[in-house]
Amino acid sequence: MIGRTLDHYRILAQIGEGGMGVVYRARDEVLNRDVALKLLGHGALDRVGPDHLLREAQTASSLSHPNICTIHQVGQSGDDFYVVMELIEGRSLSDLIVSTGLSMETVTRYGTQIADALAHAHDRGIVHRDLKGSNVMVTPEGRVKVLDFGLATRMEREEISDVTLSYSSLESKLVGTLPYMAPEVLRGQKADHLSDLWALGVLLYEAAAGQLPFRGKTGFEVTSAILREPLPALPATVPYGLAAVIQHCLMKQPVERYQRASEVRAALETVQGATLQTRHPSEETRGPRTLVLRGIEHLAVKNKDILLLVGTNKGAFLVRSSRDRSKWDVAGPYFHGQGVYATAYDGRNGRHRLWVSANNMMWGTFLRSSDDFGKSWTNPLEASIRFPAESGTALRNVWQISLGRPDEPDKLYCGAEPAALFESRDEGDTWCLVRGLYDHPHRPRWMPSNGGLTLHTVLPDPTNKQRIYTGVSAGGVYRTDDGGISWQARNKGIRVTFAPEKYPQFGQCVHKIVMHESRPERLFLQNHGGMYRSENHGESWQEIGHDLPSDFGFAMLMHPHDADCVYSVPVESEEFRCTPEGRLRVYRTRNAGRSWEPLGRGLPDKGAYETVLRDALTTDALDPAGIYFGTRSGKLYGSRDEGKTWKRIVEGLPQILCVKAAVVQIDGVSTARMTTQQSKPARKKKSVIKSEKQKKSR
Amino acid sequence: MQISFHIPGALREFTEKKGTVQVEVEAGVSLLEALQALFAAYPGLRDRVLTETGETRRHVNIFVANENVRYTGGLATTVVPGMEVSIVPAISGG
Repeated sequence: MIGRTLDHYRILAQIGEGGMGVVYRARDEVLNRDVALKLLGHGALDRVGPDHLLREAQTASSLSHPNICTIHQVGQSGDDFYVVMELIEGRSLSDLIVSTGLSMETVTRYGTQIADALAHAHDRGIVHRDLKGSNVMVTPEGRVKVLDFGLATRMEREEISDVTLSYSSLESKLVGTLPYMAPEVLRGQKADHLSDLWALGVLLYEAAAGQLPFRGKTGFEVTSAILREPLPALPATVPYGLAAVIQHCLMKQPVERYQRASEVRAALETVQGATLQTRHPSEETRGPRTLVLRGIEHLAVKNKDILLLVGTNKGAFLVRSSRDRSKWDVAGPYFHGQGVYATAYDGRNGRHRLWVSANNMMWGTFLRSSDDFGKSWTNPLEASIRFPAESGTALRNVWQISLGRPDEPDKLYCGAEPAALFESRDEGDTWCLVRGLYDHPHRPRWMPSNGGLTLHTVLPDPTNKQRIYTGVSAGGVYRTDDGGISWQARNKGIRVTFAPEKYPQFGQCVHKIVMHESRPERLFLQNHGGMYRSENHGESWQEIGHDLPSDFGFAMLMHPHDADCVYSVPVESEEFRCTPEGRLRVYRTRNAGRSWEPLGRGLPDKGAYETVLRDALTTDALDPAGIYFGTRSGKLYGSRDEGKTWKRIVEGLPQILCVKAAVVQIDGVSTARMTTQQSKPARKKKSVIKSEKQKKSR
Repeated sequence: MQISFHIPGALREFTEKKGTVQVEVEAGVSLLEALQALFAAYPGLRDRVLTETGETRRHVNIFVANENVRYTGGLATTVVPGMEVSIVPAISGG
């Protein structure tokens, strides 16, 4: 061919060979410029016929986008069909991945450009059909150019089965194409924009991990991996946000994927921003540490003290006692005037960090933390919990701060309003929206309850890193078994009282879910009317509240050492929502809900029309367990004998929204963020082990 | 041109305690562009005045001269030389 002329293109040299034919560098003798000329092989033409192919190439030539290789001309000279396109100097993405490996910043930068190219083409009805590393060129300036839009021939079902059966003897182009093919295409469906998004996911995975997600020695193995095998985990170096985007592209069901390339681009842009933030440690975005209120007399906290973190609608209070739990000091309000709907104490990895979500009615919701028991708090310049800009959603509040599993000591979760789950993998410095739940098809049909549309409960399974339960009002229980990629409604058997259908798949107004770490298959649930137990990871639920004065309530607490024992503070009916007959009683079951006993010694017997909200009942996990609760009228009660007798710790606080208890471990170091590598067993676990020993010796 | 912003007490921890700050913007810019210049100089203000979707927080009012911009075109309101912008928490409570 070299030296030949097709129309006014003089062929200079062969520069590549692909499934569609051979690519030459050619000289455009009219415009005096070098171009790439692809001479289409007869194999390709035979499959679909020259007319069809030319029509598609002509359509593709209408694309004009900085990340798409421009097609100048489609022509026919004698028997030869050819496509003339922009000559791109650079290397293919597959070359770059193999030879240098790519940084995460590069992966997102290239990915954004490819997604933008797809978005442009899809908007014009053009599907690529054969996106893969060898079809993406990167120029020396770092610009991505996607080649061969719309040029791939459609494979028929029989051809696909040929491919899978005789992978090793295939033409090289099919060997290169098969690992990028979407499951539905392998099943014989027509390739469309969603199968392009799958291919983009494969490409991003390959670029981030350095290898293809679905591999095999034969075509059959590759095909069956694509069709059936779960996505292999990405290396830990891949930031969470990027991993989530890739996973979302690689959902086996097309309807569960991103539905538009522009969504992928927007998600990658968000990740790009976060990657940059992570690269420059967030010290820059963390404002000055400030004393929040000069008037506060701070607590002097000692090792092994009991600390209660009390969130109210007008600020947070800290309450401490020595180990005997008889005398309590109170300090606060911290963040006075702000609603504190969630607090947490992180004692993992040698920390003694307090977390507070402070909701300022005017200025928004910010997560704040303190490593010196409230003397100083982080004061972030930028909100760390935020919805991606393209979601069009703005954070209203944070209802829950949950710690990750003890063996994942840098992991934290936040439950947000509007209902969404956020995850941090760097001890709370940066946060990422869990897209799998946010993009759940049920979400648009969740209904806000009285308190708003909130995700208020996050329960990681202590024995299964991939499994997390969440509670949404009013959406119900959702469980993931793949680390947050996909979520299923788990509400079978839970009744609703506010819709004609009594047992819908979702839409339940769940108030709280609890679990004991020794028995993760069993869950207890307080619903908006109705108490339930599940013995099978939430697959189905049985009612257990028959014995109670009312099965309506908000708070629910698992005993720290007894998987049969649960506490609750029932309130009278949906309308009244106060303790029945003005009698303040905590109820306890010690047989997993078969019967309940009232615990009232030390609690007011009359005139106490109280409400205990969903997170305002807690335990210090000592043995015997201390149980604490706060009321909407601002009273804080405690029991140091597992609920037998109660004492009022303090009254006159603003409306109590949440109470968390912790046993402080200081170990001689009392300030600053600790980055020690000496990981210690989590405090809670330690006390459980101890109590089990004690039980045995009794 | 210079625009003066009046900063409420609650946000002065992000403006070096100053109650009024000046930023330099080109003549005829929108309030949003003037705010962006303000946020660039004092980054702690951005997420407290606007939500992540770029809207003014519900209980925050912004006045250009003495007009609440909710009635003058919102963040597209044109800011002219000599005008003062006030960021004011709305009357609310609970």
